[in-house]
Amino acid sequence: MSEQDKGGIAGLLRAFTRRTDASAIVATTVLFVLFSLGTQNFLTPFNQFNVWRAASQNVFIALGQALVVIVGGMNLSLGAIGGLTVVVIGHSIEILGIEPWIAVILGLATGVLCGLFNGFFISRFKLNSFVVTLASSFIFQGLVNGISQGRPYSKIPREFTRLGKGDVLGVPNMVFLMCFALVVVYLAFRYSLLGRKLLATGGNAEAARLSGIKTGRMLLLANTLSGLFASIAACLWISRMGTAQPATGGDWLIVSFAVTVIGGTALSGGTISALGFLFSGLLMALLRNGLIMLGVNVYFESTFLGCIILLAVLVEWLRAGVAGKSRRL
Amino acid sequence: MLEIHSVSKSFPGVLALDDVSVDLRGGEIHALLGENGAGKSTLMKIMCGIYSPDSGEILLDGKRLVLKDYHDAIRNRISIVHQEIQVVPLASVAENIMLDKLENFARGPFVDWKALVAQAQCHMDMVGLDVPSRAPIAGLSAAQKQLAQIARALSSGARVLLLDEPTSSLTLHEAATLFALLDKLKEGGVAVVFVTHKLEEVLEVCDTVTVLRDGKLIETRPIAGLERGRLVEMMIGRTMRDDYRGFLPEPGEEVVLEVRGFKSEFFDGLGLSLRKGEILGLYGLVGSGRTELAKTIIGEYPRTAGELLVHGAPARIRSVSDALHKYRIGYVSENRKEEGLILSASVVTNIAITVWERLAGALRAFFSPKAERLRGEEMIKRLEIRTPSPMQSVEKLSGGNQQKVSIAKWLVADCDILIIDEPTVGVDVGAKASIHELIWRMASEEDKSVILISSDMPEMISLARRILVFKEFRIVGELADLNSTHHASEDVGRMIGEYLA
Ligand SMILES: Nc1ncnc2c1ncn2[C@@H]1O[C@H](COP(=O)(O)OP(=O)(O)OP(=O)(O)O)[C@@H](O)[C@H]1O
Ligand SMILES: [Mg+2]
Repeated sequence: MSEQDKGGIAGLLRAFTRRTDASAIVATTVLFVLFSLGTQNFLTPFNQFNVWRAASQNVFIALGQALVVIVGGMNLSLGAIGGLTVVVIGHSIEILGIEPWIAVILGLATGVLCGLFNGFFISRFKLNSFVVTLASSFIFQGLVNGISQGRPYSKIPREFTRLGKGDVLGVPNMVFLMCFALVVVYLAFRYSLLGRKLLATGGNAEAARLSGIKTGRMLLLANTLSGLFASIAACLWISRMGTAQPATGGDWLIVSFAVTVIGGTALSGGTISALGFLFSGLLMALLRNGLIMLGVNVYFESTFLGCIILLAVLVEWLRAGVAGKSRRL
Repeated sequence: MLEIHSVSKSFPGVLALDDVSVDLRGGEIHALLGENGAGKSTLMKIMCGIYSPDSGEILLDGKRLVLKDYHDAIRNRISIVHQEIQVVPLASVAENIMLDKLENFARGPFVDWKALVAQAQCHMDMVGLDVPSRAPIAGLSAAQKQLAQIARALSSGARVLLLDEPTSSLTLHEAATLFALLDKLKEGGVAVVFVTHKLEEVLEVCDTVTVLRDGKLIETRPIAGLERGRLVEMMIGRTMRDDYRGFLPEPGEEVVLEVRGFKSEFFDGLGLSLRKGEILGLYGLVGSGRTELAKTIIGEYPRTAGELLVHGAPARIRSVSDALHKYRIGYVSENRKEEGLILSASVVTNIAITVWERLAGALRAFFSPKAERLRGEEMIKRLEIRTPSPMQSVEKLSGGNQQKVSIAKWLVADCDILIIDEPTVGVDVGAKASIHELIWRMASEEDKSVILISSDMPEMISLARRILVFKEFRIVGELADLNSTHHASEDVGRMIGEYLA
């Protein structure tokens, strides 16, 4: 912060508008208050439980996207990796009769391998991440359909859902997990060498390489982590639903980008905000929940979501303008 | 022709221009001088509609002119060459030159490529840019890109031509071509504004000079009768001593870096050696292969044959990471914007990036932002980098201050061997002297070795104590006795000229 930000509420406010996650924080808070006042069922424990679980789910999906976005790339195969993880786990448990915890490890390994696959082509051959992950999303999706034949796996053991359905003192377990993940993300991108190198690679890959950072490795790492987060999200999905649906991941692409962008992670790479994720993940969950509460025709849901995302981006644009223009005191 | 009336402009934390008025006349070359961050580029950008002033006005031929954007400026035949390189990397050189005039080549919905390339070629010849016009501009060196940008501005037939440090990475030769062109434009009644930190150029080609300091107008006066020392005093408010630094302590016999028979796409058997505690200068025209050699040494460009020895042992360097972490060799890029800096990141991040590994210690896992910030702040102070805060993003600094950051990150890296490519592009006289002092001390006090690539002859003479002359990717001559005999600058220039002829 520069000198004039010190002191006074005005200074604090101005500092706040400089944060890239400011719009997400404001929008989420406003929406939360509106829904609390405007609808009857919003604040019920049952509804809150679901909203916060959905928010946590969103955050994990979005982290999968954000990790590649910060190095200046993208992952279009995120949903397919999620779907494949679900199918691998479901298939292992139901058809092959493998122990659930081993199935989970297999699932996570699937995500890591898919991420490595993307990362290998992107970093080794310097291919565009759009093209590579577009192609690989078809490859992974084909595996999903082929292995599952479209059938859901419903014989998921009870203990598997303890994470997704359980709570401690009314707070969903998933929320604790999300908070843990976000704290790790915050610390990693602030204090760890790897995190800072990832950010530098996203800021300007050429300059980062010429500063002694192995940018190829950073791309590989980011894509691998992206795959890992996709499969973590998939595990949570099974745990929350109690079944392993091959259709899992169908809407992850839009959710992941929406949460990432609204949370203040620049699409051009180089920045990230853990707090922003919390709020934008919640925002997406609130929106879906609120639309249902308000009795909006569910078939039009995605139209509303699209409009809201556009609105959020516009607000962000305005914010950036205001932050840029604010003068000296 | 163009009058600026008490214009002010502020950015968060900075008053960049404070009530500045300037008169530009047709047929006159007007120098705009000032230290880094004095507000020169800001004033130029206001004159061509990129920034709008907070207060004050601009008059063109006596009529009030409000420029909404740069397009407006072009319509009023005002054209600018930016300080920073701004090209579309994958488009051809010709397209880049004609970028803002593509509509002139429209044939219905199509582009008349033949005419476009022919016109571009004609302007390339004018500025002396000798590269294939249909090749992508990305492969060009910084100086060649700069020439392309000058060609772009010249080809628009402007009445007011704004040149923001056009010569910063050119050698005397290309600059001379440019000055001949400017003289012609001047006869044609064009008003030229010329920003530079090379004061010799001001004395040579300009008619009038305006000096800014801290955003304030200090003085506008004719050049006639001015001399260099007086110009410096107007700019920085004090006089400066001569930049000649005497001799380095006799470098030992130890060869720290040896290039043997490099062969590659560029070179056909090139060799040189660098001794401990030596400052070796590489001089040559733009495109003579100096930067290519540096990049081959640090593993950015491949080589097909040849050997590289560091401290006498064969070295395998495949990337800057190897060079920096295994052999303590650093490379300061000539192209700060594309290769040197992460523009969106803070000053501190950009400076400390080369020492992150070391800050993280043996575990190589974590480091504290505080330690990082200390390193950054120390360099900000040593190089007098002008920034409202250490956490300011680098893109908001003035060009010269960005250059200081680009140098700072490699000075802080504490390399044994530093290859410095055009260290003071766009840096003002005062700051240039302090950067020279730091480089000099690296060699004279810390016994480090430096390879200095520079197109700035006075800089070469002030620092290098052995000079290799490059021409068309070969070494054509060596000035070996600079550390034992003091030659007048003219003599050094003449000797180099003979090798180049
Ligand atoms: N977009 C911006 N946002 C914030 N501050 C800016 C911006 N552009 C310029 N400044 C500030 O305005 C001041 C003047 O900058 P300007 O680029 O005009 O300097 P200059 O005279 O061209 O310097 P140089 O010789 O280094 O190019 C500097 O302190 C700089 O940090
Ligand atoms: Mg400038």
